[in-house]
Amino acid sequence: MKIWHRHSGIILPVLVIAALTLWPVITGKASNRESAFTILKAIALASSLNILLGYTGYVSFGHIVFYGFGGYVGLFLLTENEWSLWTAMLAGGLASGMLAFLLGTAILRLRGAYFALATIGINEAMKAFINNFDLFGGPTGITLNFSVYKPYGGAAQALQTSFYAGAGLALLAIVLSHIVRTSKFGLGLLAIRENEDAAEVMGVVTPRTKTWAYVLSAIVPGMIGVLFFFKNGNVEPHDAFPLHASIEILVMVMLGGQGTVLGPILGAFAYQGMRGYLVTSEFFKDIQLSVSGALLLLIVLFIPAGAIGWLRHRIPTLRRVLA
Amino acid sequence: MKRSLFSVFTVLIVVGVILSACAPGATPTEAPAGPAPTEAPAEPGAPTEAPAAVEKTVTIGFTSSLTGSQEVSSKRQVAGLNLWMQQVNDGGGIKLSDGTVVKVTAQTYDDESNKERVQELYTRLITEDNADFLISPYSSGLTAAASIIAEQNGKVMLTAGAAEDDAYKTGNTSLFQLYTPGSQYLLSTVDMLKKLDPEAKVAVVHENDKFSTSVVEGLKPYLESEGFEIVLEEGYASETTDFGPVINKIVESGATVLLGGGHYPDGSTFARQLYERKVGLKFVSLLVAPADSKFPELGDAALGISTSSQWELAATHTPEEAAALGKTWYGPTGEEFAAAYEAATGDKPTYHVAGGYAAGLVLQKAIEDADSVDPAEVKAALEAMDIFTFYGGIKFDTTPEAHGLQTGHQMVVAQWQKDDTGALVRKVIWPTDVANAEPLYPVPAPQQFTGLPAGAGAQRPAPEPYSGAETCSNSISYWHHYPTAFFWVLSMDWQPWG
Repeated sequence: MKIWHRHSGIILPVLVIAALTLWPVITGKASNRESAFTILKAIALASSLNILLGYTGYVSFGHIVFYGFGGYVGLFLLTENEWSLWTAMLAGGLASGMLAFLLGTAILRLRGAYFALATIGINEAMKAFINNFDLFGGPTGITLNFSVYKPYGGAAQALQTSFYAGAGLALLAIVLSHIVRTSKFGLGLLAIRENEDAAEVMGVVTPRTKTWAYVLSAIVPGMIGVLFFFKNGNVEPHDAFPLHASIEILVMVMLGGQGTVLGPILGAFAYQGMRGYLVTSEFFKDIQLSVSGALLLLIVLFIPAGAIGWLRHRIPTLRRVLA
Repeated sequence: MKRSLFSVFTVLIVVGVILSACAPGATPTEAPAGPAPTEAPAEPGAPTEAPAAVEKTVTIGFTSSLTGSQEVSSKRQVAGLNLWMQQVNDGGGIKLSDGTVVKVTAQTYDDESNKERVQELYTRLITEDNADFLISPYSSGLTAAASIIAEQNGKVMLTAGAAEDDAYKTGNTSLFQLYTPGSQYLLSTVDMLKKLDPEAKVAVVHENDKFSTSVVEGLKPYLESEGFEIVLEEGYASETTDFGPVINKIVESGATVLLGGGHYPDGSTFARQLYERKVGLKFVSLLVAPADSKFPELGDAALGISTSSQWELAATHTPEEAAALGKTWYGPTGEEFAAAYEAATGDKPTYHVAGGYAAGLVLQKAIEDADSVDPAEVKAALEAMDIFTFYGGIKFDTTPEAHGLQTGHQMVVAQWQKDDTGALVRKVIWPTDVANAEPLYPVPAPQQFTGLPAGAGAQRPAPEPYSGAETCSNSISYWHHYPTAFFWVLSMDWQPWG
């Protein structure tokens, strides 16, 4: 019973991932598969950022750097060393984790706005570095030859495989998020979020704890980067480190409710679902950016705590399920 | 309560203004509405001897960049394609030997100049909208992502605005390129320089992106083989708005000629700042931006700026040229195309417009040659194609190493000069057999344009020292897409996390 209470918060997130995975299978439509992939990718990225933003209270504007860096490392290993997608994904995740460890050791001594500004600088610096790094193709990036898809059954089957891998990574991200939230380590992060000085007094070794939170939040983005660019067939610095994508992930986390497992999932689902609908809607497709901006404005004005925060506040009995 | 009512009103007003300002009907590149994709007998009462005329509508699917960095060029390309569709439908469609009349309609989405949704949108175009043929997005990176979807669904994709060579060397067999490949973009400019000034010292300064870098990769070995000294090679970020540090390097290098650029936003800014700094280069050639009809809005800063162009009306290709080369001529003349475009839009066509139109024209020819709209047969017709249009030669590489790469098309060099009335016009200056003006070389120093006494510009002035910031990358340009998120995050209470 105790275990059930502790882990009941993971049920809804898993059901959401399962539903998203089954949606294209049941409908049998490739376009639904692509839409679901975009949402699953956003869920994986938002849930990862939530470990840092929601649990630890540190705003990272440049979290997309791990997605881009991991993607580059993975694609390089795929093309130059002919690694399989699976080992390349693992390597991309580990490379991003190592990068987060090195960066975290240095910049997590900063707090608040100073940390947020430093993360923007890191993303731009990494973009400039990759732009001038010939091993990764410099500004032209890395383009995959179609023969890369052969071991996965050709381009068509590779896209299907990528979709299931994306679902797996989204699941990994939420399980990781849940484990962190329900662990003693997560409790330390929440203490840091509420008052870092007090947390230190209570025995939380804050620099080390924050660094590990940063590392954990970077691994899945690194893996999803490899998968996305494998699926797209090429990677360029411009696509790998888009600052606006970092802000979109922040918006998703806060839209759903930061600091909860389900919040970023709902935020990612709502945001990408809305963008996907608007961009293909006959009526809205020419004004989709304006409409999505106006809708976000309304949500921010009236539900500033995010959807889950609002629900938890209004209906206390749901607090255990909406963890 | 009053405050929340005020908030609601404010939001409603903002939403109202946005919606009224951005009504879908205001979009100039809206695809012409075609008939529903159905097959229906055209004339039920026709005599029984004649083959039954069946009308068939094919859907052409593509994404375009209605927003983002590729917006200007992408919209021109779509405008050209729309004109072709309009003409085909108004002319009664494409007629096949079995009596079928093929009309065309378009389905299009905004890709925001962003790769994130390109595969999703092309999958939707193929599986939901039942697109029969595809046109590529504008830019090489977006096209590379879309080409995988085209390949896996066996759909032909004609590419205009995707010049970079690598996308055609991936082993795909679905792409067919309309543009001269990126690696050959500036070669004719080098040929011209060789004649004008073999001693020129060349600075190669380009946007750090896939297309511009591929152009430079083709340019550098050619410059060296022709005996030119490259005194500077520098890349700049796509979002650059301050070219001060780059211009300083150009001045310090002692370069007399500048070759490079990238796309419209950076290219037009670069040209303006070169003028404002009075750098006094003898010759400047930039990619893409000077080929746009908006470029003269820079005023005197546009004077003398050259570009490599896929097509210019002044040097349009003719049936006589095709006959001399022994090629089959197809489609309207350049003058007919330009007049039709001007009548439809009130604007003069650029090479991006011509590229979009030519993509449609080539597809039309392939359908006629195949005498079918079956993708496999149209693809075979494209592979066998070797024709000449107003846009130039069209022939595709059919080897597995570079399938679909354009091998029949040549570029010209155009330069902004002043006509007798003092208005800026784009003149063709190379190759000499199609040129309608002599190259303006060296380009007069900037003082001569600003009303200074005669002779003041005869001696090149020293460039003004630069005192601005040393960083040239400016990513703030992204914010305009996400104003809400920006202000929201800024207004967050940082205190509890500090």
